Amino acid sequence: MNSVEQWFKSQNWEVQAFQKQCWKAYSQGKSGMLHAPTGSGKTYALWGGIVEEISRSKILPKGLHALWITPLRALGVEIQNATQKMISDINPELQVGLRTADTPQSQRTKLLKTPPFGLITTPESVHVLLGNKEHQKYFKQLRVVVVDEWHELLGSKRGVQVELALVYLRSIIPNLRVWGISATLGNKELAREILLGPTDNFTVVEAKIQKKIRVHSLLPKTMERFPWRGHLGTQLLPQVLKIIEKNKSTLIFTNTRAQCEIWFHRLLDEAPNLAGSIAMHHGSIDKKIRLWVEESLRNEALKVVVCTSSLDLGVDFSPVENCIQIGSPKGIGRFIQRAGRSGHQPKAESSIYFLPTHAMELIESVALQNGIKTQQIEDRIPYLNCYDVLIQFLMTLAVGAGFEPKKIYAAVTSSFCFQALDQERWQWILNFLIRGSQSLQQYDEYKKLIPDENGLLKAANKNITLRHRLSMGTIVSGNDLKIRYRKGGYLGSIEEWFISKLKPGDTFAFSGKILELIRIHKMEVIVKKSKVKQAKIPAWMGGRMSFSAHLSDLLKKALFEDQNKTTREFQSLAPVFEQQKKESIVPKPDELLIERFETKEGVHTLFYPFEGYAIHEAMANLMAYRISLISPISFSMSFNDYGFELLSDQAFSPEAFLDNDLFTPEYLFDDLAKSINISEMARRRFRDIALISGLVFQGYPNKPVKSKHLQSGSQLFFEVFKDYEPDNLLYQQAVEETFDHGMERGRMQLVFEELGQKTIVWKNCSQPTPFSFPLITDRIRSKLSSETVEDRIKKMYLKLEKAAK
Amino acid sequence: MNIEIHTHQFVLHPSGGIYWREKQSWLLADVHLGKVAHFRKNGIAVPRNAEGSFYQKMEILLPLFPVKRIIFLGDLFHSFQNNEWYLFKAWVKQQPFEMILIVGNHDIIPNWKFESLGILVQKHWKEGPFFFAHFPDQKTKQFVFCGHVHPGVTLTGVGKQQIKLPCFYKSSHQLILPAFGAFTGVHILKPKAEDRIYVTTSKEVLEIKEKY
Repeated sequence: MNSVEQWFKSQNWEVQAFQKQCWKAYSQGKSGMLHAPTGSGKTYALWGGIVEEISRSKILPKGLHALWITPLRALGVEIQNATQKMISDINPELQVGLRTADTPQSQRTKLLKTPPFGLITTPESVHVLLGNKEHQKYFKQLRVVVVDEWHELLGSKRGVQVELALVYLRSIIPNLRVWGISATLGNKELAREILLGPTDNFTVVEAKIQKKIRVHSLLPKTMERFPWRGHLGTQLLPQVLKIIEKNKSTLIFTNTRAQCEIWFHRLLDEAPNLAGSIAMHHGSIDKKIRLWVEESLRNEALKVVVCTSSLDLGVDFSPVENCIQIGSPKGIGRFIQRAGRSGHQPKAESSIYFLPTHAMELIESVALQNGIKTQQIEDRIPYLNCYDVLIQFLMTLAVGAGFEPKKIYAAVTSSFCFQALDQERWQWILNFLIRGSQSLQQYDEYKKLIPDENGLLKAANKNITLRHRLSMGTIVSGNDLKIRYRKGGYLGSIEEWFISKLKPGDTFAFSGKILELIRIHKMEVIVKKSKVKQAKIPAWMGGRMSFSAHLSDLLKKALFEDQNKTTREFQSLAPVFEQQKKESIVPKPDELLIERFETKEGVHTLFYPFEGYAIHEAMANLMAYRISLISPISFSMSFNDYGFELLSDQAFSPEAFLDNDLFTPEYLFDDLAKSINISEMARRRFRDIALISGLVFQGYPNKPVKSKHLQSGSQLFFEVFKDYEPDNLLYQQAVEETFDHGMERGRMQLVFEELGQKTIVWKNCSQPTPFSFPLITDRIRSKLSSETVEDRIKKMYLKLEKAAK
Repeated sequence: MNIEIHTHQFVLHPSGGIYWREKQSWLLADVHLGKVAHFRKNGIAVPRNAEGSFYQKMEILLPLFPVKRIIFLGDLFHSFQNNEWYLFKAWVKQQPFEMILIVGNHDIIPNWKFESLGILVQKHWKEGPFFFAHFPDQKTKQFVFCGHVHPGVTLTGVGKQQIKLPCFYKSSHQLILPAFGAFTGVHILKPKAEDRIYVTTSKEVLEIKEKY
């Protein structure tokens, strides 16, 4: 029996089959991928192998031996504690360190001077380490990298960060072993290939732990007063309170931070006795408070926590008995993940309640249940050609030891993300960094990277180094201000645009408290507690999630096939369907419904393909563009997961629309590119790109003045690139990302081919239908126009300040 | 677009400049020369071509009317001196007319440098019934022409359309000019009922009415 197995025995734990498999594969020098849910003992499955190998070799390793990358800082502490315990028992001389953005400077220096045996860290922190001059020496003894929760990283730019770090480490450490840990996902093979790189020496281990998940729908008693639109769902508050009462502890998942704040307040208003046993958890709340909430959950000190995706991951909260999902979770994978936060005791079932916030979401409830039955889990689409992340990475190397372009090119192109990066674009990137453009110009003083005497590219000066170090990372935060009590104590952060609308003396709700604004001082919002009952709820600009393809399919199926079944959900929906059928229809599988009606706001035309927000956004742009080719017209558009709306001041005729075959998949991407050029999609994408690639600098902490002359919005960059340098790769990246991630290019083609087979049903209605309601009341819109700007302006008017009226 | 203030005639030009017919003078605010160069010097790759637009714009403006003088309403240069200065110097030497610079908050290049080019540097400037300044000034009794703000407005139309455009912002005693420079951005203002707004699309200047 080996020492790790003995240690398991001493803990009275049973070694699971997948753990043994991992240990064996590791001892054979293999890389690998482990698919296992949280709380299953996956951490030991890998650390076990690493520790076992060391304890056999009898020679104590010097320097950093194992690197453990986790997406969540909060998870790091947990993993450090668990592993240090095992390692100390087996070999007391080995240390496991933790380095994240939260690690104090003194500790970081210590970790750098005396590297621990194992280091737990985040993708961002790995890059910070690579930006160190001595990093080659630091990583010299490294033998294994483990990437935890890979499914969370894949499909994000942080995933690209991990890819770049791995190909780079492989290039300096031959025979580096790489292991990934991931929950189940649709595209497992690809996920493995991206992480492990082109190697045959790997194993895939499946932990065959199937958690049973029970899904319940929360239904309104009567549908009459249940709203056709909305996103709060507070009508069902009494039922939620009952569930809270019944269980030891409950997690309530909301989709936005604003929704989270609102639910917290409404619960307390309704049940004041919850005070002291209710808490809130979201990404803008101060770290200390979040840690306290997590700790209290584990200690069973809290009965209910209202949270956002901030609690989707990681930390094991054994006492949680129940979860409630408010509104659409947008994907089966996420729903299962959230349900999995409950019922952590061995053999316990996970239990989740789905709370629809408006009528249409009831259909979604049916779809989700079907999805769980058939285990249809989404793919994660990896990013390709992320020039912004690459530019940041090259800068990171340049501020440290410098880099040799030829060597780095070989490493970079061995990654999945940059496999197709040709010499021409590589040269473009180098020119961008060295000369700031592609052609030499007179009078130009551009300075960023300069080659040293050995041909290594290095940062041109200290200021550039400093600015880069301060703005590294791919998680982009807006212009956030910290919230602080007058007497001290941080509460969290809030976006500048919200707070700029408030005047001193105004109150707002945050972190479960009502606060009064005293003043804004040096990027800090100074507040005091207020006794007012009602206050503004801040909104955070977050990306809107879109339905996954699976959920969209399941929804269509549920709508078309199950609507006549006597499930509870469809019984409740009957009155809504009845209203819908008065002037319109509930479309059959082979029909595409289009509705038209007029209101004071203009002429509404609604389309219901049920393909998800992202596809609808693109489709709306495309339709608007194609219609605008027939005659000059301006549209404003709205979209949700069920359909989209084109709103115009003039009506376009159904005949013109139907006769011109506007749904044709021919010239699809040409037309989309044209419609996107005059729309907002690429512009929004560009914001992150500008920040990641270092174009936009957010200022030194506490030194806002010095960098003021260098501050500029990403919008301005977008404009000048569009006007003066349209072949700029970063500008092009914004367009490409819009295609691939904003609109799901691959799926789009399929959807249009399917639409071509469908019968179009055009219904003229005298008033808005239940299906249309969430769309026509949506205030987040984009526009497309084929009229000249001057013609449009002549029809427009000013938004007047309210006080003037 | 022509407007009259205190019996004087002013042309609001789509470029963002104002031509004062009686005095044959151009008023230009917030040119921010050298902004692109300043960014580039610090390793931020703004397209180099964006910078040249000032001289291109002037080539279009100058032949339109007889010109005796240009009054720069502050923020002529964005930051410290850089190579842009030499371009500007060369341009100034070719021009036959007078120039006045009202100092703005970005103008940190010493006055004597401008004066050595024959440019008159002032904190503000009074002429006839008018007062020229960089910062908006509500206290002055005379009518104020100023910059600094980079004003813009949000327009809304039927069908929830929205568009943001730079504008000439005229209130009862003051007119704020849009920024003349490229790569400058706009600051969105909310007009009051008595304000008059002239937006520029860079092709045309249009007066916008509010909706009642």
